[in-house]
Amino acid sequence: MKNAVIAALALVLGASSAAHADQVIVLNSEEASYSILSRGLRMETQRLPLGREPHHLIQTPDGKELLIASTVTNELVSLDTRTGERKRTIRGIIDAYQLGFSPDGKWFVTAAYRLDHVDIYRYDGSFRLAGRIFIDGMPSHMAFDSESRTVFVTLQQSAKVVAFDLETQLIKWNAEVGKAPAGAVMLPDGKRLLVALTGEDSIVTVDPKDGSVIGRLRTGRGAHNFWPKGDGRHWFLSNRVEGTVSLIDTQDMQVVATVRIPGGPDCMDITPDGKELWVTQRFLRRIAIVDLATMKVVGSIPVGKSPHGVFILKAPALTPPLSPFLRAASNEPDPK
Amino acid sequence: MRPAIDLWVGVQAWLFETFVSPVLFSLNLMEWFEPAFNAVEFFMLGVVQILVILLVMRLLERRWGIEHGDERLVGVDRVYTLLNKLGIVPLFVFVLAYPITNQIEHLVRVLGFTPPRLERLVPGLHDSAFLSFLVYFALYDLAAYWVHRAQHRFAWWWALHSLHHSQRRVTVWTDDRNHVIDDLLVNLVLAVFAQFVGVQPDDFVLILMVGRLIESWSHANVDMSFGRLGERLLVGPRFHRLHHARADAAQPHIHDHNFAPVLPVWDMLFGTARFDDVQRPTGVDDPRIDADNGRGWFGQQVVVFKRFVAALMPRGSWVTQRR
Repeated sequence: MKNAVIAALALVLGASSAAHADQVIVLNSEEASYSILSRGLRMETQRLPLGREPHHLIQTPDGKELLIASTVTNELVSLDTRTGERKRTIRGIIDAYQLGFSPDGKWFVTAAYRLDHVDIYRYDGSFRLAGRIFIDGMPSHMAFDSESRTVFVTLQQSAKVVAFDLETQLIKWNAEVGKAPAGAVMLPDGKRLLVALTGEDSIVTVDPKDGSVIGRLRTGRGAHNFWPKGDGRHWFLSNRVEGTVSLIDTQDMQVVATVRIPGGPDCMDITPDGKELWVTQRFLRRIAIVDLATMKVVGSIPVGKSPHGVFILKAPALTPPLSPFLRAASNEPDPK
Repeated sequence: MRPAIDLWVGVQAWLFETFVSPVLFSLNLMEWFEPAFNAVEFFMLGVVQILVILLVMRLLERRWGIEHGDERLVGVDRVYTLLNKLGIVPLFVFVLAYPITNQIEHLVRVLGFTPPRLERLVPGLHDSAFLSFLVYFALYDLAAYWVHRAQHRFAWWWALHSLHHSQRRVTVWTDDRNHVIDDLLVNLVLAVFAQFVGVQPDDFVLILMVGRLIESWSHANVDMSFGRLGERLLVGPRFHRLHHARADAAQPHIHDHNFAPVLPVWDMLFGTARFDDVQRPTGVDDPRIDADNGRGWFGQQVVVFKRFVAALMPRGSWVTQRR
């Protein structure tokens, strides 16, 4: 009976446009599908097919589309960020494991984790390949400088970060930073690039000019992926081996809070009201909900196998013109 | 269903986070983080399969066993089963096969070919997980049928596969009695096939689990079938024991029947099916192959490797009638 009521509620909510703002998209990377979750009901309402191994997703610079990359199927599936409906499929984007738009929205970059190359596209709504750079070492995550001139790509297998000039697609520098570098984020001051070391228990601060390591902060074993809190100062970091998420104050460079999230926590997103952080638990086939006021896990929703990327749809009026990463990099105030 | 999934992945995550993840972390092997987590599931499935063999299949064998004799012959097959089902041989095979299958996949994808997904070609397939599983399972079984035919067709492959057939006391443990190079070759072919038809990792695990359990049962030392219709739908002990029957002058090609691992339809389609209820002794009528029975796991691996090398030689010293 309870399930029937919940299902009916989901149907009613699903019919209204407000419901779309309530939706959360989670990519089930090992079962070629994505789950649609209701934030209000805290349950999965639908599971839809995708190409094989969907890992990450990103909002387009105009905020209108959500691009989901299926790595093995070499394609991007675009969803309408207001309605959640499919808009188009862009084929021939090879092994797009990680995705990023430059802050000016003119460059789209993919990291081919398994096929060892970085692709740089000129973006104007369509994708024109400007350069493909083959580079050993499992290109993993990326960050951009605020001028949209450089993309920094971590190489998880080779302990390095590589800086590419977007216009020329040439390597600016290539530097060792520590074991298994993964998540990367450029801080708003433009002078510090944070890199999470999944093979260690720390993040390092890297000088974006030459790749030299200028600082280190211990967070937890398997430091992996960042997500901005939205105030330009604090960032969340998932520690996959430790099974925790750290909240980092990037001004004082210290961990100000830690929450235990079992099951290999990975990608994150924050609700539009800034009250909750949603974290994929890869191994447990769930997504955890963290209450940010208390920094405690208040829920965990079952999804598909190996949930990886997560994205919380925003209400139309709240849909930011830039993704939170780009907003943080460009110092734009958070509409939340 | 969800409580069962939670229990399963809970145990898997606990095993991984307690025993595997710290080792990967300390050895700086974090790029294997996800594959290693899946390997833990493979290990757990192996434990489940062994329990099913022990608690169900062995009981039936004890009650209705048809071949009796030297129990020591069976001992080595138990070693094979443990090494295979608990992931030791598969780990070795994976380490060797992964770079090859990966390279093939890379090459194909760089050339612009993307593996299709049947769900896109067949409307409605995605809506039924069970139907989707059945289709992939059947395709996988068809590929395995032809691999099995090749194991008997080529002298060099028969040199390896003959180890599987040399057992004179075929039991539920015999399914895993294979040379590691034979395991490697079979897995290579089937893994590449699975990639090309778009089998999802989740389906692949289930296909292996269900398939290997049925194959263990088809080797059981009992004269049982699933009935006149059932034995045409699913391979059972009676059907598969004919494939293991020892050839003699009257029936020198008795092995060349009933190759299908799980679905007899492939034998029926390709003219290799034979349904009868005659009980025959099992094994191989070649004394050099039959000598495998006196050896332990390591001895068999060494001798069969030599047999394989000899068969690869242009004028090999090891020539035998193919099976």
